[in-house]
Amino acid sequence: MSTPATTQPDPSTPPDPTAYDPAVPVPDEGPRGWRRTVLALLRRPVGVVSLLVLLGVLVLALFGGWLAPYGINEVNLDARLQPPSADFWFGTDELGRDILSRVIASAAVSVRVSVIAVSIALVVGVGLGLLAGFFGGWLDTVIMRSQDVLFAFPEILLAMAIVAILGPGVTTATIAIGVVYIPVFARVTRASTLSVRTETYVRAAKSLGAGPARQMVRHVLPNISAPIIVQTSLSLAFAILSEASLSFLGLGVQPPEPSWGRMLFDSRAFFQDAWWMSVFPGLAVFVTVLACNLLGDILRDVLDVRSSATARGGTR
Amino acid sequence: MTRPTMFRLAAGLTLVLTLAACSGGGEAVDMNGEQNGDQEADGTAGGTGGSDGDADAPAAGGTLVAAIAGEPDQLDPHVTTAYFSFQVLENVYDTLVEPDVNLEMQPALAESWETSDDQLTWTFHLREGVTWHDGSDFTADDVVYSYNRIMEEELSPSWRFSSVESVTAVDESTVEIKVGSPSPNLLANIGGYKGVAIVQQENVESGDVTTAPVGTGPFSVSDYTPGSSITLEANADYYGGAPQIGGVEFRFISEPTTALASLQSGDVQWTDNVPPQQVASLPGTEGIELGQVGSNDYWYLALNQAHEPFDQVEVRQAIAFAIDREGITEATMFGNATVNQTAIPESSSWFTPYDKYSYDPAQATSLLESAGVDPASIPMEIMVSTDYPETVQAAQIISSQLSDIGINSEIKSLDFGAWLDEQGQGNFDMLMMGWLGNIDPDDFYYSQHHTDGANNYQGYSNPDVDALLEQGRVETDEAARKDIYDQVATQIADDASYIYLYNPDVVQAWSSDVQGYEVMPNRAIRFRDVTLG
Repeated sequence: MSTPATTQPDPSTPPDPTAYDPAVPVPDEGPRGWRRTVLALLRRPVGVVSLLVLLGVLVLALFGGWLAPYGINEVNLDARLQPPSADFWFGTDELGRDILSRVIASAAVSVRVSVIAVSIALVVGVGLGLLAGFFGGWLDTVIMRSQDVLFAFPEILLAMAIVAILGPGVTTATIAIGVVYIPVFARVTRASTLSVRTETYVRAAKSLGAGPARQMVRHVLPNISAPIIVQTSLSLAFAILSEASLSFLGLGVQPPEPSWGRMLFDSRAFFQDAWWMSVFPGLAVFVTVLACNLLGDILRDVLDVRSSATARGGTR
Repeated sequence: MTRPTMFRLAAGLTLVLTLAACSGGGEAVDMNGEQNGDQEADGTAGGTGGSDGDADAPAAGGTLVAAIAGEPDQLDPHVTTAYFSFQVLENVYDTLVEPDVNLEMQPALAESWETSDDQLTWTFHLREGVTWHDGSDFTADDVVYSYNRIMEEELSPSWRFSSVESVTAVDESTVEIKVGSPSPNLLANIGGYKGVAIVQQENVESGDVTTAPVGTGPFSVSDYTPGSSITLEANADYYGGAPQIGGVEFRFISEPTTALASLQSGDVQWTDNVPPQQVASLPGTEGIELGQVGSNDYWYLALNQAHEPFDQVEVRQAIAFAIDREGITEATMFGNATVNQTAIPESSSWFTPYDKYSYDPAQATSLLESAGVDPASIPMEIMVSTDYPETVQAAQIISSQLSDIGINSEIKSLDFGAWLDEQGQGNFDMLMMGWLGNIDPDDFYYSQHHTDGANNYQGYSNPDVDALLEQGRVETDEAARKDIYDQVATQIADDASYIYLYNPDVVQAWSSDVQGYEVMPNRAIRFRDVTLG
């Protein structure tokens, strides 16, 4: 054991020295690392704004029912296609329903669908990627070629195919989006695993008797978490967009339940008469997705250790 | 030009926002050097650009460009059931007799006809000198072949021939049809629409009929570009005289706002794909003519009587009282429809006055009470089709109105194929749909309300109605027949076998350059007498 076990880790070398002792939990440095990440994030105005936006969306998703001025399916045939006014801040749709209330209610749908879908993709994709990257050989070939097949399809087309088989609806849309994003996570995880599995600390753990499962979960996974976190943030944005696209195509959320994509779909016929029907749901998608993406970009700069030096010099 | 500008602004803005959001994170975390592309942009971007195309003013005798909302599935008139096909085929094929603008049957390929004294033999005298588009002669054999094809192969219009026992050619220009029982509606059955057109045997047997049909009509099919358009060429030898325009191009434009924008910019000269909310503002538009007439189409709700408690007439009546027809009609059709509580509108000679149901939630509640049914316990899945967006909209209103009397409902919106399957299997509580192109009362009552009716999916059974429907089929006296169908209409509405909602208008718009065009209440589109100014 000649490795300097007490040295603080250099940010450019991910191996955590404490990992040499299987008995000591690896993410000993975790809390400090998290704090550092958050602080780095908060130093950037864009990061703060993105976080605030996403927090806002989360609040709307959780408490939208109390915040919405009207019931989401409250049909009012006397107040159809009203432009934005003091009564209806975002105007009303063709059935006299309040657009603001529906935009708020849609946040819950978007958050639910994207979080569940990305969770599916995360769990399955990371699992497959870990197995493929760690064991290599034929298992790697089988897993990654199958992922390549999935990846070869345009995302929305694959999601549509899955929805076509399972039938339209918000649950199947969630599953479809989840499946579609599995290969992204599998690839990211496998690539990182490949670079980490031959590190000394993994081999040391093995030599001390850790089985493959323990090596993967305790020693590999924590050290490849950065790219996965970044990918999660970016995928959330794409999942929101996918849900909106599927709903726009009539394959996601079914009426009368609102969703940003569904509202955009319903607004098509009224482009000329009621701009507010398309603009407000469109804005909601735009702002949320943009916030997710910006956050993802910043997280990448902050977390992605290998490129952090160049990132600080300014990637864009 | 403020409206189109606003359209482009709104469309453009949404588009830009979506695209910006996409490209903001156009790449995924780049570990394997792969791009997580931004394909989604295409999903919402398609087809929103307003057309700025130059208005090519058509020369006199030129081609009329007509925008229809969808593409024909195929062009074999006996097989297709799609309205898009019949929009084209109306101008390509002929029938023995055809409806005029009042839906009275007039001579077409048959110049005259007579019936025997026992009403069981109909003799048709065919027009002479009629030729097919390929130049060959039209004869009585073609009529025999066409009708036998429909009956023997049980093609979609075969039910119209249920009373026909034989079709024979007496000579080159005489056809005899024998029926098993007096059939006062035979003319409507063999001429009501181009689904019973006379086709050419050679064309059918070669298989070309599906894409390049040969007819006897005023136009022949000259070019078919799937996904885009069908072009017809004037038939100089048409028996009614050569059309004055050189041809017709049918373009498939599914988005109503796009179709109307194309009409306004002069890219097309005719369309029936007018956004309902813009109909009211059209008459003032310069250079655009609007044609709007009532139709015999009807839209209705049907409750599945195999599902409790819809077997109880009070429950069905309660729902008929719980819905606001005026509100539904105004919201879905923007006033381009007439509210009705029975099938057929006032403009039809078969109209039966009926107004027992009004929007009365209190009455609905008391009916449910007298039936001993708790509204909260009523299962209510409203089945509608995304292919008919008005049903999806109406269902949302109905759902909200039903909740006012305590009925919780869910909306199931399916594509039309799946919708038909579910209907056929009886998997619905309530459905909304329409019947189109109705001419004879036998068309719109027997199959839908007779106990053994082919389209009686709601499971309605009333022996009195059955008996009346059977009488109506064979009654040859017009006044007696009208009386029978008055009773039928009233009983069906009383029993709420169907809860009728409205009769939509036929709305079509065309350029002022188009002259001589007449809107037909059965949605038949005839360009043979049109001129381009």
